[in-house]
Amino acid sequence: MSEATTDGAAAPGPGRPLTAGLRRPRTHLRLAGALLLLALPFYLDRFWLQAGLFAMAAAIGAIGLNLLTGSTGQLSMGHAFFLAVGAYGYCVLAGESSTQNGHALSGLGLPTWLAAVLAVLLAGAAGGLFSPIAGRLRGAYLGIATLALIFIGQHVLFNAGSLTGGFNGRPVPPFSLFGFTFDDTETVVAAVPFHSFEKLWYAALPALAVSAYFARGVLRGRPGRALNAIRDHRIAAGVTGVPVARYRAGVFVLSSMYAGLAGVLLALVFQRTVPEYFGMVLSLEYLAMIVIGGLGSVAGAVVGAAFVSLLPQVLTHYSDSLPLVSAPGTGGVAPGEASRYLYGAAVVAVVLFLPGGLTRPKKPGENR
Amino acid sequence: MKLRVYGAALAALALAVAGCSGKAASKDGAAADRSGVRTGEGVTDTKITLGALTDMTGVYASLGKSVTQAQRLWVQQTNAAGGICDRQIELTVRDHGYDPQKAVAAYTELEPDVLGFPQFIGSPFVSAVEQRIDNQDKGVVLPQAWSANLLSSPYVRVIGATYDVETINLIDYLLEEERIAEGDRIGHVYFEGDYGENALAGSRHAAKEAGLTVVEQKIKPTDNDMTAQVSALKQAGVKAVVISAGPRQAASLVGVAAATGFDVPVVGNNSAYAPQLLATQAGPALQKDYYVGASTLPIGDAAKGPAALAEAYTAQYPKDGLDNGVIAGYNAASVFGEALKKACASGDLTRDGVGKALLTIKDFGADFGVAHDFTDPAAPSTRQTVVMKPDAKAPGGLKVVRRAEVAPAAESFTAKH
Repeated sequence: MSEATTDGAAAPGPGRPLTAGLRRPRTHLRLAGALLLLALPFYLDRFWLQAGLFAMAAAIGAIGLNLLTGSTGQLSMGHAFFLAVGAYGYCVLAGESSTQNGHALSGLGLPTWLAAVLAVLLAGAAGGLFSPIAGRLRGAYLGIATLALIFIGQHVLFNAGSLTGGFNGRPVPPFSLFGFTFDDTETVVAAVPFHSFEKLWYAALPALAVSAYFARGVLRGRPGRALNAIRDHRIAAGVTGVPVARYRAGVFVLSSMYAGLAGVLLALVFQRTVPEYFGMVLSLEYLAMIVIGGLGSVAGAVVGAAFVSLLPQVLTHYSDSLPLVSAPGTGGVAPGEASRYLYGAAVVAVVLFLPGGLTRPKKPGENR
Repeated sequence: MKLRVYGAALAALALAVAGCSGKAASKDGAAADRSGVRTGEGVTDTKITLGALTDMTGVYASLGKSVTQAQRLWVQQTNAAGGICDRQIELTVRDHGYDPQKAVAAYTELEPDVLGFPQFIGSPFVSAVEQRIDNQDKGVVLPQAWSANLLSSPYVRVIGATYDVETINLIDYLLEEERIAEGDRIGHVYFEGDYGENALAGSRHAAKEAGLTVVEQKIKPTDNDMTAQVSALKQAGVKAVVISAGPRQAASLVGVAAATGFDVPVVGNNSAYAPQLLATQAGPALQKDYYVGASTLPIGDAAKGPAALAEAYTAQYPKDGLDNGVIAGYNAASVFGEALKKACASGDLTRDGVGKALLTIKDFGADFGVAHDFTDPAAPSTRQTVVMKPDAKAPGGLKVVRRAEVAPAAESFTAKH
């Protein structure tokens, strides 16, 4: 599992003409896929767009966690905490001071694009503060240490009322870039009315693309090989000159920045941040995503995120026509329960039959 | 160059997209049927679709189940009686399991297809979509939560007294019964968050009016053992305790207090009791000196409304117990039904029409002991509270000790936003 992604070198090398790359069938497929994704807001209704946006945000977060857990072998249960830092960081930085539900909310009122960038950096800084611990602990031990972050995070979210709005959370200021605001006001594009979800789609898609591209670059280059070496054999990696603690700390910071970006995006989709959401279950869901999709690869994280976040939505939406799944309130298995059973089963099935995850159906040639 | 071909294809596609998208501007949803009734989202010539966002797998599972089944019962009865406006009612239910993402997603999913929501459990999620409800969707939502923070929206309407008002009424009951008097200290054990903080605002107000002192004890929903709180309150010498928490915490508080010989009356909000508690060790203590407030009669009351509902519900769901969620759900559905009837009578069955119709409803629901008035969105639909006492012999486990009344302190109270 040393090579991070399965797809060949599609990016044209410096010596190769651009058109050579364009003739490859894979490039055509990718372009078609990209076009399809770009065209979706014109056709899908709000429910599916929202589901897609949740999936994209989850994909960004999962890529981050996969860098840490999949590629470096460091278990983290604290991913939800960094998502919360991103989400609430954005709200505090971009929001105006106001009073709401008896809480005086404080906010800095920065331009939203700047707030988004700073929120990601803030999540990175939070990861940096934890990195002395992250650099020294390995595997399951780090998992236990990061568990503490969730409990601290939940306590702060519920009690730091002036920053977080307490139990009922705080509203998320709509994102705006170059004077264009991604809010619910109607903008008609080619006779299709655009609301927040349609607009956000075009903000989330590039964010996901850039995140994926960057992570792929990290994994394919020297740092990626070093991370994999640490995962596969820590001592050997140290002997060959990889600064183990520094790399571990570094990848922890990077992964928290990914989580921060995912948090900002989630907040924008939710339009309100609620502390309830950033609990342990969320962290477990992210772990499920990367296991199901495939540990250590960017594509795996994206596929796993799509699977885990879309499955409950699909089941609920079609619960009327599915056998076994019954409408809530009539007895039998409710869609919410069914989806939990299903991805429990999916995790077990993947671990047993597809150790490489959904993105690598064949067993990888080499063993750890 | 290939690139140019792609460019051309992209341009062509962009043009084609506009032409054949189903989303492309259909100007407005409102249309009129043959008899001249204007209709919109969620209403066809034969059917009115309503949405219910419930919790059947999360922390409020037992409440969610009762409310949903009661609403299904209401739909069945209404349809059997010929429906409303010559249309059958259909209830689409989504279970969010108290998960914010699922709740928001379920709202987005159902919103385009329903006229409104007679059920929405979870006040944080209601606040999460409140902006969209107020500015964009404008459908009536009846949340099963009694926080004063939800007041003020013309579309999100709380049915019953809010927690603050209810708490004032409960303290008034203690004063009236001469269990506490001016100068006394009372304890208040409350959940962090919306529910508890709202109730606390009420007890502070009542204490100020009556010259009492409130000893506050904040707890988390995960705290199930109230021993520490009981000993702290005992130490402080309180004469009565208010509890704004879940049924488990109430049972623990009352049980521990009885076991340690701390003999004071305990009053709780409507969410601090469940009939299942009577079967626990705390059962005898609860029946001794514990009181619960709510804006409806208990389901086991002999009055016509609760009795008829209890009978119909037991016939429909023989396996499920009765609790006050049944009345809450049924009541919400009937309020919605009443608004639909009025909207139909004025020939406007759109969301706008239903919203306006709801604003004209007064003196509704007296069958269940309390009359509701929906004309002012900034005020709770009633300020009255029925005080009840656990009783193992009554169905639903509660009997009335004081009929619906408003405390003078609650009359004037307005929640700060």
